[in-house]
Amino acid sequence: MSIETPPRPTAEPSSEQSWGRTRTPIGVILLKIVLLSLVAALGVYGTLSLWAYGAPWPAAAMAVATAVILYIYISKKRVPLKYLVPGLVFLIVYQVFAVVYTGITAFTNYGDGHNSTKDNAVTAILREKETRVPDSPAYPLTVLKRGAILAFLITDPGTGEAKLGTAEQPLRTVADATFDNGKAVGAPTWTTLSFTDILAIQDDVVTLRVPVSDNPNDGSIRTPDASNGYVYLSTYRYDAATGNLIDEKTGTVYVDNGTGNFEGPDGKTIDPGWRVFVGFSNFTSLITNESIRGPFLGVLVWTFAFAILSVLTTFVMGLGLALVLNDPRMKFRRTYRSLLLLPYAFPAFLSALVWAGMLNTDFGFVNQVIFNGATIPWLSEPWLARFSVILVNLWLGFPYMFLVSTGALQAIPSELQEAASIDGASGFQILRLVKLPLLLVALSPLLIASFAFNFNNFNLIYMLTGGGPRDIDADVDVGATDILISFTYKVAFGGLGRDYGLATAISVLIFIVVATISAISFRRTRTLEEIN
Amino acid sequence: MAVIESPAVVRDEIPEHRRRPFGRWFRESGWRHIVGLLALVFALFPLVFVLSASVNTSGNLTGSTAIFQSFTLDNYEALFGDPSRPYGRWFINTMVIGAITAAGTVFLCAIAAYAFSRFRFSGRRAGLLGLILLQMFPQLLAYIAIFALLSAMEGVFPAIGLDSQLGLIMVYLGGALGVNTFLMYGFFNTVPRELDESAKIDGAGHARIFFGIILRLVTPILIVIGLLSFIATLNEFLIASLVLQDPDKQTLAVGLYKFVSQRFAENWGVFTAGAVLGAIPVVLLFQFLQKYIVGGLTAGAVKG
Amino acid sequence: MRRTTTLVAVLAGSALALAACGSGGGGSTTTSASPTAASSSAPASTTPLVVWAGPTQTEAIKAVALKFEQEKGVKVKVVEYDFGKIRDDLISQGPSGKGPDVIVGAHDWVGKLVQNGAVAPLELGDKASEFSPVSITAMTSGGKVYGLPFQVENIALMRNAKLAPEAPATIDDVLSIAKGLGSKIKYPLVVQQDPTGGDPYHLYPWQTSMGSAVFGLNPDGTYNSEDLTIGNAQGIAFANELPQLVKDGVLKSTITYDIAKDAFLKGQTPFWITGPWSTADVKKAGIDLAIDPIPTVGPNPAQPFVGVQGFMVSAYTKQAVLANEFVINYLGTPEVAKALFDIGQRAPAMTSVFEQVKSDPILAGFGAVGATGVPMPNIPEMDAVWADWGSTEAAIIQGKGDPTKLWTKMSASIQKKIDG
Repeated sequence: MSIETPPRPTAEPSSEQSWGRTRTPIGVILLKIVLLSLVAALGVYGTLSLWAYGAPWPAAAMAVATAVILYIYISKKRVPLKYLVPGLVFLIVYQVFAVVYTGITAFTNYGDGHNSTKDNAVTAILREKETRVPDSPAYPLTVLKRGAILAFLITDPGTGEAKLGTAEQPLRTVADATFDNGKAVGAPTWTTLSFTDILAIQDDVVTLRVPVSDNPNDGSIRTPDASNGYVYLSTYRYDAATGNLIDEKTGTVYVDNGTGNFEGPDGKTIDPGWRVFVGFSNFTSLITNESIRGPFLGVLVWTFAFAILSVLTTFVMGLGLALVLNDPRMKFRRTYRSLLLLPYAFPAFLSALVWAGMLNTDFGFVNQVIFNGATIPWLSEPWLARFSVILVNLWLGFPYMFLVSTGALQAIPSELQEAASIDGASGFQILRLVKLPLLLVALSPLLIASFAFNFNNFNLIYMLTGGGPRDIDADVDVGATDILISFTYKVAFGGLGRDYGLATAISVLIFIVVATISAISFRRTRTLEEIN
Repeated sequence: MAVIESPAVVRDEIPEHRRRPFGRWFRESGWRHIVGLLALVFALFPLVFVLSASVNTSGNLTGSTAIFQSFTLDNYEALFGDPSRPYGRWFINTMVIGAITAAGTVFLCAIAAYAFSRFRFSGRRAGLLGLILLQMFPQLLAYIAIFALLSAMEGVFPAIGLDSQLGLIMVYLGGALGVNTFLMYGFFNTVPRELDESAKIDGAGHARIFFGIILRLVTPILIVIGLLSFIATLNEFLIASLVLQDPDKQTLAVGLYKFVSQRFAENWGVFTAGAVLGAIPVVLLFQFLQKYIVGGLTAGAVKG
Repeated sequence: MRRTTTLVAVLAGSALALAACGSGGGGSTTTSASPTAASSSAPASTTPLVVWAGPTQTEAIKAVALKFEQEKGVKVKVVEYDFGKIRDDLISQGPSGKGPDVIVGAHDWVGKLVQNGAVAPLELGDKASEFSPVSITAMTSGGKVYGLPFQVENIALMRNAKLAPEAPATIDDVLSIAKGLGSKIKYPLVVQQDPTGGDPYHLYPWQTSMGSAVFGLNPDGTYNSEDLTIGNAQGIAFANELPQLVKDGVLKSTITYDIAKDAFLKGQTPFWITGPWSTADVKKAGIDLAIDPIPTVGPNPAQPFVGVQGFMVSAYTKQAVLANEFVINYLGTPEVAKALFDIGQRAPAMTSVFEQVKSDPILAGFGAVGATGVPMPNIPEMDAVWADWGSTEAAIIQGKGDPTKLWTKMSASIQKKIDG
């Protein structure tokens, strides 16, 4: 070991640093101070900005996080955390947030028809229920202002008369209005707003309703564009006190039914609804939903088969190639390696499309050229389709395993290999008894992760077969290559609309299954132990 | 040293450029070439269609089995002719975002792996397991969560909000810890602890042990993970298309997709041309970096 | 409040200075916390109007956006968006306030957008009369118009006039013409399919020819979501017709778009059922092209789905006046309609522009077929139909089971989805 005797100026050239027993160099200390001030500055800035932004809780979190980070780096202890914090910050902000967000969604009714807040829903419903009075004309309109009060000045297209009104004051004729080209553009004591002025108060203008007369059944004027007014009638009113919607014409009360909709006495609901927490109902509906229960077992079995076979095939091929190409006597092995990486370097959806084309029964390259014009239904016969999916996944996935295995092979000390071969072990024995066990220790977490990835490999299934061919005996839309996650997609998004609540509920369940299996597998590997 | 074994006859028949007799050559590396070539055929023949489509006039991708029916470079020219679709810009963006993400991932991953490998602290095993389990959560809704997060951030930190490349890189770095950390952790464990111990006796602090000794010994895995991260960034579409809207900021995956996103108006010719050019840096990079992966260990490490 | 903001600004400034890094840059955003409408002398809104458009509309919209900018002093940001994602992304991103103000959308999205409260109705006023009535009807839901239409598209029969000088009226005509052409013809007719997912859109004309429709109609001509008619006797008759079409050689589950195009361009078939999106390639190949009505397979005319694209205003826009102004008075002009036509080559929805360009026989051909077509249902329930419909047709075409049984099962499955 070159490192064992420290103060030796004539050390090998490989030791580029001076190994003296000196204290931390001043440069490093300075760097630390600068970095910590940077963290402190960003923390203070972020906390104050969040506070000013009106987000006290995130601000508090930011302040606490900054303080904790500063403590960790200033303290002499907490050494492991010094190394973990940078990655953890990113992990928590982005990944953990996404997971928590998804987890929470599983307890809501989020989805089509329930995609926003109650306020937005009320606005949308009132806007939809407001109807333009049939055959009423379009009135040229000008927006006026006096003090804080807005008014509409309209020109009656029939009589050419100018009329003015505000939210409280119904329309009445203005005698001395100024006109421009027959359109009333100004009235005494009122200021005419220019288009630019209006832009600053767009919301106030488009929400302003000016009653046509004292009789509410005559409707009111509103404008979508600040230059044309139309007469609308709305009989719906939102009662903020009770939270209900009332149709004043019929007296019908649509009550907030607690599950994100207004519901009439006849049980009919009004779209849109809004997002609310619904407890475990997404989970319970999974159990009671027949269209999920029926094909569930078959899909589950295939999901496991697909995930396990995908890991096995890609790993065997990747590792095999890594071993074959790891011989220093072999020429061009660098070129081989680089080219083998190519399937990984192309967009996966492009590759999937190419494969779908190549596997076309009547026109595909595979049947036409390799099988000499046979008509093998690669993607439309259930078992062949399953085979094809695994084949294509092998093509997509082996470069990853190849690259990783190539890297891991370098961790096997060559002395071990030499020692074994001196002991008279054959190449295969060295592989089986020396290399493989070591590789498996290093790579087993990857294999487990790869299993989990393929368990949820939605993209491949979706792009290549869409889950098909369809099982014609099933009562629901399920196909031979559907895995749990693609089946989830069909159930949650393929019906009346996207049901995020249901989809995330299934995701959470899938996660529990996969995580349990993985955690058990980990305990069986020795990865978490020390290897030395 | 043992070339002499071979019978003289063979040596006469095969001129001097072949140093090893065929039988031996085949046993040692010939069969490896056969396996390698077979693998290459499997890996590359679907891509021949992509290449063929990129030089084809018809704009078809899977039209027929007759490949290379026509040859034109129009598609490649078209990549650089449209200012509203700045391919060159996308290319540079992708390389920059990919390189920064890869470097950041390697760094975050390496320091975390060091902590897991060299320190014993409570929650270590749970932490390791947690890292990998977290990645298994189905990402079905991740894009909605990321959008919500970035649009909220925009009010406070516009620099890492929506339509920001830095913001995108941050999201990518959120995925830095995970299975890669494991890979590194395993590799770190193979570096003998005696190295640390002796350095510690010499008075080196943990930081110096890490940056000065260990990091150099694990170069192969750093390169592998950097490369994996780079390629993953290169091909990432979903989050990138969500975050980046300004054409001048977009990446290859997002930009190229526009050529085929309009149903029935897909321009596969230009798309495939762009994909072919986009794959070249990966191959070149790997070709170049291989010497650090393979045999990187023996160079500066455990001699003595 | 005032004091806190100043404090924030000062602290933020010094923090940044301390950090000596320019990554913050958000000082102005935080200090101008709530722009109130108090003073009318405030400058015009500096937030740009955001438009999401598909790749083929972006350029035309950018031109008029520039004009809007000059005249109104407000920037318009035209984002080239993946057209297929506009609908769902507006629904999921709109409520955050970061979504678009204006989108380009298809009329069959209207039901889903209204169900989510994501689009605002337009008040076209007298302008409505400038558009073809069918395009306005298509954009209507619950008596309100939600989009300003700009183009209409539908499929029709493309005929290689050199091979077949006469238009076929029925499938039997197609077969006899093809027979007369002898062995150089590989297929009497091609229509694109997806081997696993089917393609009900391209087969719908033949379905209507057998008298079948997906939904029944209300008295006012809109689709009635409570009347799923796909599984009735006519629908079953259509299902049983499919194997015959396969036997005749005019339908093959493995003929994808690329393969169909290849066959037509190479003269392997005189007929191709497709839409205006294929015109450019056919013209480039120098084929003598004619557009005809789709040949019938049953007693009724073969009616394709008609799709209308238009501009819509997001319900979540904070700039409703501007967005309406831009859509109605800037996008709703003949110049823009013409510019969109020049790029997209689809029949303009604006009558005056259609008159201008209808001398083009191909456009007129598609237009004539479209006039006999039926609008694609714009009710949200249509979402529940596509997947079952396509995979069932694919299974029947591949001869995987009894058509009547499969079709009945499909209808039940769709009904179950609609009922929730």
